[in-house]
Amino acid sequence: MPNKNGSVYGLTILSPIIDDDKATPSHDLQIRDYLAHLSTREESPFARAPGTHLARLVVMDDVIYVGAPSCEEHLKSKYLIFESNCDGNLDTYLSGLASAIPDHLDAVWKHCVGYPGAANQQAFIDYMKACQLETTFFFAAVNDKTVTETLCALRTQTAVADFIAAHQGVDPATLQREFIEFVAHLRSQPLPRPGSMGPHRDIKTGGRNE
Amino acid sequence: MSKLNETDIQGFVLRGYNLPVARFLLLRFEAALRARKLIGRLLSQITTGQRWDGTKPQSTVNIAFTHRGLQHLELPDATLLSFPVEFQQGMKHRAGILGDRGVNSPDHWDEVWRKDCVHAWIGVNGLTQRALEARCTEILSLLEETAGATVLASQDAASLVIDGKLTTSEHFGYTDGFSNPDYLGVERSTQPGHGKLQPNGTWAPLATGELLLGYADEAGELPVAPIPHLLASNGTFMVYRKLHQNVATFRAYLEKQAALYGGGKEKLAAKFVGRWRDGTPLELSPDHPDPAIVQDPNRNTNFTYSADAEGTRCPVGAHVRRVQPRDAFGFNGQLINRRRITRRGLPYGSFVPEGKPVSDTDERGIIFMALNASLSRQFEFVQQQWIQYGNDARLGNDKDMLLGNHGGSGRFVVQGEASQTNPPFVCSNLLDFVELRGGDYFFLPSITALGMIAMGLVDPR
Repeated sequence: MPNKNGSVYGLTILSPIIDDDKATPSHDLQIRDYLAHLSTREESPFARAPGTHLARLVVMDDVIYVGAPSCEEHLKSKYLIFESNCDGNLDTYLSGLASAIPDHLDAVWKHCVGYPGAANQQAFIDYMKACQLETTFFFAAVNDKTVTETLCALRTQTAVADFIAAHQGVDPATLQREFIEFVAHLRSQPLPRPGSMGPHRDIKTGGRNE
Repeated sequence: MSKLNETDIQGFVLRGYNLPVARFLLLRFEAALRARKLIGRLLSQITTGQRWDGTKPQSTVNIAFTHRGLQHLELPDATLLSFPVEFQQGMKHRAGILGDRGVNSPDHWDEVWRKDCVHAWIGVNGLTQRALEARCTEILSLLEETAGATVLASQDAASLVIDGKLTTSEHFGYTDGFSNPDYLGVERSTQPGHGKLQPNGTWAPLATGELLLGYADEAGELPVAPIPHLLASNGTFMVYRKLHQNVATFRAYLEKQAALYGGGKEKLAAKFVGRWRDGTPLELSPDHPDPAIVQDPNRNTNFTYSADAEGTRCPVGAHVRRVQPRDAFGFNGQLINRRRITRRGLPYGSFVPEGKPVSDTDERGIIFMALNASLSRQFEFVQQQWIQYGNDARLGNDKDMLLGNHGGSGRFVVQGEASQTNPPFVCSNLLDFVELRGGDYFFLPSITALGMIAMGLVDPR
């Protein structure tokens, strides 16, 4: 299935942005403004909604003419591009978005042609599917694990590494007893929040030549 | 490719001088006309890349400028604005990208670097202290005669003397400076392991444009460079970082961890870096130092990591494996050919032998200087991704053991085997063994470009 790679779904959505020369600022600029101020890491809307490995929202104005010998072409509309590497079933994923972050979705997609709002979940799902393109080829560096499995693995890795570091040289009986306690404790711990496990960085890009 | 014009390139760019003592003068320019006059007078003193044919000079002189310095020399705006963004901003403003936070943040730097006032760097290297002093006196009198610049600070650096002998060691006791890249057209005594790895396992020089502006780089493109071309060509960018070493903290930490580690203290020290303290690569001799390898240029940098994917010989996070991963990321090492830097560092402060009282507060460390055509693509990438982060090496958020900005919470994993002498081991609660005390980004122009600057001939049209 071209939209799936193992258990990971590669979602591509292109929604035409409303072209209204009376709107000031224009709808595309209003989307850009909203996206520019979205939170990142744990506070990202995509961390609050279930099942997103990685998501990207881009406003595409037009095809850029780069000079001869390419020919000059134009799009019929400006588009909002939504790409997401997400878990499993598309309907489940979209209804999860609609339930978890309806205000964010509406604030972005209300600038798109024919958007019905997230309150009516079936209409929302139908709209998104109508805007969907076949992804055909994608790569998600997530080892074919779900978001939950990945977070669980990261938590386990960190906790086991801490356990090892704290128990080097401990006698076997103590080690076994404490390991059993550790495993029970680990299982009872809540999952870390999506987006919380990466390094903290103020700025993520460097120069213009990367 | 034709031979480079060595007389047009500053000698500091083409070769490590291996002169034991150095002084770095940090200058602030006075009025532009007088400052340019000073550069004109210095021009004949600048050491070029011309070969020495066996006789080393008593001393060398080289010069480089910050973007602020070039502004002060009144280069045309169209030229100033054409420099790469990271150079225009300077290293202090790149602290977020470089991970220079906590004890490494600019608030903790030496005063001269906190104030954005350094315009130029003059590097003087000497064969003897006397020769160094004599050359510095000459330069200082030029400064006085022309009234072109004031010395804000001067930083001495020197090869460490241990047991009365000159060494290439640094303060933690590791022999340093084995590996620097080869570049096409640069004549130097080459050895396998320098340069880039070829599919057949041999090593070839990197494209000249990875070091010098105006030449094709590893992508076949010209590096991002200022206009006019003549100002940029045969020049390069230099990173200057004063890295303070907390020797007492390092020794105490090593001692404490070694007590828990089955392989012994020296092996653990070797695992940190990927070389035994005498310089023997762990990859070639995992169980003991081997002076025969250290002294053999055909072997001491001639190794790869593909046969040690698990890191049981050289840990995946060992310092040398992080900063020069060779083939560790697969693809015959091709992923790293655009991330190489040329190092020109020297220690400062005196060496304290193990067992003698030592304090973190003494002035002691390394003046790290690195040359590259692109600060953002080469130095900044290595610092951000390979030193302050571990993902490329599949080490998650782990940072470089020695240089990482740990703040007491970092971790370093020694991969091992089911054996008494090479067990797996985890070093946790890593401390800040090295602290940044300041520095900046500099442009090291060609001799022609220096002349253009001195004569006010830089014309971007």
